[in-house]
Order: sequence, then structure tokens, then C-alpha cells
Amino acid sequence: MSKSLLPILAVVLLLVPLPSIGLAQTPAASDVADSIAEYRRMLREGNPGELWVARGKRLYHTPRGPNGVSLDACDLGLGPGELEGAFAALPRYFEDAGRVQDLESRLVFCMTHLQGFAREPLLREAFSSGERESDLEALAAYVASRSNGYPLAVELSHPRELEMYRIGEGLFHRRSGPLDLSCATCHSREQRRIRMHGLMNIHNPAQVRDVMGSWPTYRVSQGTVRTLQHRMWDCHWQMRLPDVGYGSDATVALILFLNEQARGGEVDVPGVRR
Amino acid sequence: MMLNIKTRNAAGLAALASVALIVGACAAVDYGESGKVDYTKMSAEELGEYLVMESGSWNMDQEVQEGGTARDRMTQDAMQKVCSETRNQPSPEQAGQIIADARASIQYPEGGIRLGDWRNGRDLSWGGFGFRIVHNPDDHSLREPSGNCYNCHTMDPARPGGNLGPSLTGYGAQRGNNEATRRFVYEMIYNPHAYFPCTAMPRMGAKNLLSEQAIADIMAYVLHPDSPVNR
Repeated sequence: MSKSLLPILAVVLLLVPLPSIGLAQTPAASDVADSIAEYRRMLREGNPGELWVARGKRLYHTPRGPNGVSLDACDLGLGPGELEGAFAALPRYFEDAGRVQDLESRLVFCMTHLQGFAREPLLREAFSSGERESDLEALAAYVASRSNGYPLAVELSHPRELEMYRIGEGLFHRRSGPLDLSCATCHSREQRRIRMHGLMNIHNPAQVRDVMGSWPTYRVSQGTVRTLQHRMWDCHWQMRLPDVGYGSDATVALILFLNEQARGGEVDVPGVRR
Repeated sequence: MMLNIKTRNAAGLAALASVALIVGACAAVDYGESGKVDYTKMSAEELGEYLVMESGSWNMDQEVQEGGTARDRMTQDAMQKVCSETRNQPSPEQAGQIIADARASIQYPEGGIRLGDWRNGRDLSWGGFGFRIVHNPDDHSLREPSGNCYNCHTMDPARPGGNLGPSLTGYGAQRGNNEATRRFVYEMIYNPHAYFPCTAMPRMGAKNLLSEQAIADIMAYVLHPDSPVNR
């Protein structure tokens, strides 16, 4: 298959009930859930996402950009160069940026301020597409993997973090657009599905921990690692809402709200999802 | 400014206005890293609406299929606002207003409510096309927007759908294809808040998401005795 067809295929796969997993025509929901769990177990033994982690590690520690430096001096919240457990405590307020940042907006900050990359192309190419790889997807997978085994624990102590949390909670429940949707429309009840695709329930901490601890994740339907920023962006497209900016305040607020609901969940990335 | 807020002091409003100008001057792709607004000076309500309308988190300028821009889609109407604020649990007074507004929104086809072609209704119920924007906008001149019904409902039992809404399998067989049922189904598709204020179901008629013919076709799929939904 031509690689240029992959984005189209990905969209198709998002809209149809899992034909690639070889399910019967009319499966019961429990059978589907079992099949997906089994499929995930099989994939985890050789998770392709590990390739993104390896590439991200190389990119992170190699001198790059107009300034010819690595990201080793990047402060992800625990001090420059401190990667162990840093992702598990994001998003957080950063004095040098003057704003609350999630992993991806922090990486963009370090790549522009330390390495001298221009911001606009970084944002434009943040999501891989067809044959074009994304450095940010690989970097995010690598940095997040350095929190494996750590519990998700945002600090929520700085006033700006508390404000962003409240905004995120409000956004999660804010209905708008032609279909009157909010995040909560689909993600606030137990055992719900869009077509055959199971939906996380925000009121079920075990489910939220499982989801938030497993991104960045290898998306089987897309053949690449996707990040939380991509999840937010893709949901917006499906909801018929406008293009939400990569690392924008709205996405950071939503991710902060979600990570607080996921408090205590163990980071285990890259995950594997449909 | 599109802030729908009670600003507590004029200085705050002036600061907001100047920041909005700064943000507005940014390149289109660079939306969302204002970094210059002191959110702590705003109330929770101000914060939320500020962030939505003025922080630059979204590309508000993209043109949309129904006309206007994406900004219009992010601007809440009365129902959306009340249902968001109450987490879809409106007070009796609020619910009464939502029901009254919904009833007033419903327009009926000339010549009465009739069933269309259930085969076309099947395709429209299954499809998820229409009104998506961003990188891959749905071109309505190439194809008619569909109903997204299977996202939330199972209809033909051979094609399992979502379960955010109730199963509609056998709906017509159980309720019959009579005037009262046709009227109820039409109104439910057109604006379901007339019966269930703050329901999750979209307003397919009131928001002009489906044409009159498309609604008739989907109704046939739900109610016609020959439709696989009822066999």
C-alpha cells in the first residue's frame, strides 16, 4: 500500500468497526472488548512504539538546530537534564515561559529557546503525515517513557495551575458546535461506545488512569505513535469544532484536568491502541 | 470582544482588550501561546469564556459549511450554555425554557410528515460525513451530509452501532407507522430538546444538519415495515 494512502486509511478506520482485527460480522460488545484486549497483549510483546522511543532518545541527546545544542539543558520541571519522572508531573507552571505547559508545549519551548528552531514549522509538522516523520512524536514518546513506573501526580500548587485546572474542567463540559457536543457527552457514562469503539468514563478513575498513563501510544490504525496533543486535535475534528492549536492553552488546560482525574495511575508508555 | 461576562473592574477589561489585540496579531498557525494574560485576575466564568474566545487556542477564522466562521461554532447559544453550566441537569424553570425554545424551533414539512426512501435513509443513518473542518473539510457539494445515527444507536441489528442512545431496532414494528408516531420521530430528529431538555442528541433539523428529504428518508428507515430495522 502506498504510504500516501495511510492518512485516508486512518480516517476510514476511525469510522468503521474494526474490520482489520478479523471480527465476525455481528460481534457482541464483550467479544469485541476481549478481542481488543488480546490484540493489545500480542502487540505489547513487540510494540512498534519502541522504535519511536529509540529515535526520540537519539534526537533528544544529539546537538541540533541553529544553535547546535542537544536538549540536555531542557528543564522539564525537575531541573535541567532531569528526565526521570518529569512527564508524570506535567502539566505544570514554568517560570521561564510564564505559563502552564504540558510535555509537548514544553518540548516546543526548549526546541525554540535552546536549539533555536523556528516555532511555526515545528507546530506545522508536529503530527507525522504519510512519509513525513515527526520529531515531536518521537521526542514525546522518549521523554514520557522516562517516567515509566511513576504515578501520574500533577502538583496543582501554583495559582496558574489551579486556574488552568478549573478552565480544563469547564472546557470538558462545554457544549458547542453544530452537534452540541462536549467531551462529557461521550466520556461521562460507563460502558458506552461510539459505534464499536469503547469510550473512557471520566467518572471511573481506573479507566482514566489507564488512558492517561498510556499516551503517547502506538496507533495501530495509523501506523505511528500519536501523542495527547493529537488525541485532543482529532477529537476536535470529529466533534466538528475548529482546529485547536498544538500546545495551546485550551489543550494544556484539558490535559491538566484529565491528569488530575488520573492521579496515581502508573505511566506505561508507549501504549498500544487501535 | 465576545466575552459574555460580568467584568468586576474596568481595569481588568482594559487589560483584556489590549491582550486580545496582541493575540489577534499573531500568525494563524501560532495561536494558543499567549503567555501574557494573568488568568488569576479573572473569575472562573471569565476565565473559561476568555480562554475559548480570546486566548487564540483555536483557529476561529476558518470558513465553515453552514456559512460564517469557526468562531460562530464556538459561541454558545442559550441551550448549550445552560446545559453546560448545569452539567445537563437544568432546573425545572431552565428545562421549561429549553423545551419551549425547542418547540418553537420546529418547522414542519408542507403537506404533512411523510416517510421517504428507507434505502437512502439506511445510508444516511450509517454515514458520518458532513460538517467536519480543520485539515480535511467535508465538501457538501460532493456529497450530502449524513446523520451519524449509528454513532449512538443500533438500528439494523446486523450492523451494530454505538450505545450512547437507545437501540432503535424494531422501533417501527413496535410503535407502528401512524400519525402520532411519525410526528414524535420527526420532532425527535428535528430538535429532541422538545422532549428531553439537555439531551446528548444533536438537533438535526433545528441546526440545519439534515435536509427535509434526508429526515424523511431516515424516518422511513426507522418506521417502514420493509426496513431491516423492523424485519
